[in-house]
Amino acid sequence: MSKATTQKLPQEQKKRSGTSWKRDIRYNWGVYLIYLPVFVYLIIFNYLPMFGIVMAFQNFKPTRGFLGSEWVGFANFIEFFSRGEFPQILRNTLIISVLGLSVGMVSAILFTLLLNEIKFTGFKKGVQTISYMPYFISAVVIAGMIIDFTSSNGIVTNFLVSVFGIKRESLLTNPSYFWWINLFSGLWQGLGYSSIIYISALGNVSQELLEAAAIDGANRLQRTWNITLPAIRPTIATMLILNIGSLLNVGSDKILLIYNPTIYSTADVISTHVARMGLERMQYGYSAAVGLFNSVVGTILLIGSNYLSRKLADTSIF
Amino acid sequence: MIEKLTPSRVVFNIINYSLMILLCIVCVAPVWHILMASFSDPRTMMATPGLLSWIVGKPTTEGYRIVLSNPSIITGYRNTLIYVTSATLLGAILTTMGGFALSRNTKLKKPLTIMLIFTMMFSGGLIPSYIVNMNLGLLGNPLALIIPGCINGFYIIIMKNSFEQISPSFEESARLDGAGPLTILLWIHLPLVKATVAVIVMFLVVQNWNSWFPASIYLTRRRDLWPLQLFMREILVQNDTKMISAAEAASSVSLVNNLVKHCVTIVGTLPILCVYPFAQKYFVKGVTLGGVKE
Repeated sequence: MSKATTQKLPQEQKKRSGTSWKRDIRYNWGVYLIYLPVFVYLIIFNYLPMFGIVMAFQNFKPTRGFLGSEWVGFANFIEFFSRGEFPQILRNTLIISVLGLSVGMVSAILFTLLLNEIKFTGFKKGVQTISYMPYFISAVVIAGMIIDFTSSNGIVTNFLVSVFGIKRESLLTNPSYFWWINLFSGLWQGLGYSSIIYISALGNVSQELLEAAAIDGANRLQRTWNITLPAIRPTIATMLILNIGSLLNVGSDKILLIYNPTIYSTADVISTHVARMGLERMQYGYSAAVGLFNSVVGTILLIGSNYLSRKLADTSIF
Repeated sequence: MIEKLTPSRVVFNIINYSLMILLCIVCVAPVWHILMASFSDPRTMMATPGLLSWIVGKPTTEGYRIVLSNPSIITGYRNTLIYVTSATLLGAILTTMGGFALSRNTKLKKPLTIMLIFTMMFSGGLIPSYIVNMNLGLLGNPLALIIPGCINGFYIIIMKNSFEQISPSFEESARLDGAGPLTILLWIHLPLVKATVAVIVMFLVVQNWNSWFPASIYLTRRRDLWPLQLFMREILVQNDTKMISAAEAASSVSLVNNLVKHCVTIVGTLPILCVYPFAQKYFVKGVTLGGVKE
């Protein structure tokens, strides 16, 4: 059946692209009608907010709306960049993000490769299933567990006090622990889930090549390094591009739940700053400007890493 | 591939299997600890410094009695069920319709697809979306948790790819018999993409069950409309158990608080943990499908 599909498609497309608009509407009006709700949804909930970005250049007042608010040019952006917290927010965003990205990807790939060495299928499936479990737990519950475990007599604190002899305190009130708490809780939650994509890419690894290499005397490490890893390299590159594109979008969900003013110096990131300034202090124009800065840098990073990956690794997502 | 069991291979296997078992323990232990704590005597619990492997002290279900008879938790549960059901239903229907329409060979196929993909790469951001939703009258309105966010470009693309796998001869012969696109979608194509619809439904259920942020900004003052996650946030994160402990003033408050927190965690997580062993294979499928490039 799939062969018939591929043979038929080019002809079909040629025939259709030759048809006039009138014929297209007459033949496909039903299809367009089916798409209409989605179209309207996208206009309202995706494209209207995009036009709403103009508020980044306004002293926006909800009562006056997008058209009536006073235009202030780049004042909101200048305010953000000249803020005392700006370097700190940018640093936190980058460190939390790069730490999560690098440690997260390396551990997911390592986990995939180690799991791949297990030949007992039932055990392998079991490990995989258990490793996804934390991903299904809500951010609120994760935050609750972090707060409980790192409180002054929580189990993580108890462990660290007895093993490393750190001072007994609530770990979430000490700025120097936040990056690690965030990193390890993220790793705990995401390791299994982020390995799914690499595990499925292992299907591309050529078994014949592996066997031939084994016969030629390549050891396990050499086979993994020279055959398995190159086979999943396109997937790794794709994930890297996507992750770099969202480098500034540190998930604010968990941080918003667990941070507090005593650790803003290490925990405040761009997205939490936007949420706090916009929704609590109602500085709409300013927060929209910070959000826009975030999106623009994200898009530049995405295009840049895509370009580099196409040049260097011959893989790109667009 | 048949592997010879050399001594180094045996050592590697032992280490590898142990590592994997350790990893599983690390994944499960925190949740298990809380489950055990929720049945443990809070006083003995306080004196136990490490991870629990079993119930300590005299087993008790007192925490669950307090939590499950609490009106807030019941309201939260009811609201969450309503939100999850309606948002999932609406999302699945719109995603299927969108994916089907974009998979057909229309003249607007390309521009409409690009318009959709653009929303995945660039968004207005939190604040402009908030202002738009506010102007639509969604502040304090339960529809705020159902309509915005029910469509995700990524899911529509997955659906579209799935519809494109179906041979066009099905549609052609149905058209010759005089069937319209809706008939074709419902009676011919939908049964063939059931598995993909299941993937989308699973994603939507988990996402909506766990969602808390939209509720916290759109329904801030409407406690009667809060989903379970917001009540859980109040108890677990903001450490505000007075709504629960007020009735229990007689007992030692801080001890009961901890017990209540553990029970709330379990009550709020159990449904999703019961679903997940079945859901996970759909998730694996979804992630894999999403990886397919155009």
